[in-house]
Amino acid sequence: MPVTAMIIEERDNVATCLEKVAKGGSVRLMLNGKMGKTLKANQAIPYIHKICIKPLKKGEHCMKYGLSIGVASKDIKVGDYIHVHNIESARGRGDLA
Amino acid sequence: MARRNGRGASSSKRLRKTWWGYPRENGDVGARNYLLLLSGTLYANSTCERVARTLRHSVALTHPLGRCQIGPDIQRTFETLVGHGQNANAGAVIVIDHHREEGCTADEIAHEIAKTGKRVEAINIREDGGAIDATAKATRIGMEMLRELTNERRQEVSVSKLLLGLNCGTSDTTSGLSHNKATGWVTDQVVKLGGRALLAETTEMMGGEDVLAAKCVRPALGKRIWKMVEEMEERILACGVDLRGSQPTGDNMEGGLTTIEEKSLGAIQKAGSAPIVDVIPWAKRANRRSGLHVMDTPGHGGESITGIAAGGSQVLIFSTGGGHTINHPLMSTIRITGNPLSARLQADTTDVDVTDIFEGAPIEVAGRRVYDEVIEVASGKMTKAEILHEDNAFAINRNGPSV
Repeated sequence: MPVTAMIIEERDNVATCLEKVAKGGSVRLMLNGKMGKTLKANQAIPYIHKICIKPLKKGEHCMKYGLSIGVASKDIKVGDYIHVHNIESARGRGDLA
Repeated sequence: MARRNGRGASSSKRLRKTWWGYPRENGDVGARNYLLLLSGTLYANSTCERVARTLRHSVALTHPLGRCQIGPDIQRTFETLVGHGQNANAGAVIVIDHHREEGCTADEIAHEIAKTGKRVEAINIREDGGAIDATAKATRIGMEMLRELTNERRQEVSVSKLLLGLNCGTSDTTSGLSHNKATGWVTDQVVKLGGRALLAETTEMMGGEDVLAAKCVRPALGKRIWKMVEEMEERILACGVDLRGSQPTGDNMEGGLTTIEEKSLGAIQKAGSAPIVDVIPWAKRANRRSGLHVMDTPGHGGESITGIAAGGSQVLIFSTGGGHTINHPLMSTIRITGNPLSARLQADTTDVDVTDIFEGAPIEVAGRRVYDEVIEVASGKMTKAEILHEDNAFAINRNGPSV
């Protein structure tokens, strides 16, 4: 059974996985309650963490809620686990402040 | 019988544009018609509670302040008490003080409350012959007030008469995806119908200032939001703590929140897409303009919603990830959650369960249920915590030391 991942706005490039995903596990995207395509997770993804659904080049904005939640610190592929290791705040890094 | 949480209000097809409330002389409309026993100082708390225990349908608001406070700090207490007396959910008010509370006497508080046109009386424990005689006097006046209040009937009024309070608490990663989204949907409907909503929690605006500023009808309001967040950070820095250095927190990151923007954008979902028409300090009365109003409050849930109640909200949606018991004694507080575990663990005080969003239900479906609950609670249906007397969230914010 694929894990459902929720997209909030059409232009988002991340989705939130509603259960934890194993490396290589399949993730089914859901937008506005409708099921869409299935992706393969390139790495393991913890419970309610994010997966990349559109490729991101270093420096591009990571979109959730249709808005920027930060900037890619490296190139990110579809299916990659998205978190502090590849996204940085545009408003200052908490851990480096 | 198995314990059932239910999903709260039953969903009706067409959105209700009216609710049933108690119209006040100044144009406000109450969702409740309580007799309020308002303590001016901690030494009047017990008398207020004694009277409230005697009188059915009364609410006592008590607190540890009103003495040995200075300047803006005592002013803040005073304004908070006045704001609660003016809140339309209070049909009549008895203010009780102890001796002579500098800058916060029952007479001064009652004078401000009387401007709304509602009946208000001031009692001074010392002048009225001590704790027992003051209790008797307040009880007798209160009984007569309640004879009048309970003879009033609710009338059908427009949603434009609603000032909907918005607050979240024990946020987690489900917040921005579910209950805050559903709340935002409700905010939009209330504002579309000419009503008002009141967003708060300055701590949860950090990293979302740009988004909020873009919603403001005037650039000056956006600047006030930026300044509000900056000043909060400075106040915290003055205590030796760098808030920015701790955001998002370790817990937040473990829960999947990557940046402060992501955390704040989740909280701001409660605002929906309504325009921001005003930005006000803690506990200040919101003006009558339809739209979203923003209040400068701390992340402390009790203090934040106390500020909102003083601002005039009759009903508040408390949108929670962890589930909650929080409840304001005077302002009807509706707790909602989209977190399935919390909905089960905190079912006793969860009024609307929006966990179906994670099963694929559109936000509108869950939002309609929350909207219906707002209309029903505003019209007299009691929330779970209200029935349980969970009167835990009257907390006055301070900005100065005791002397």
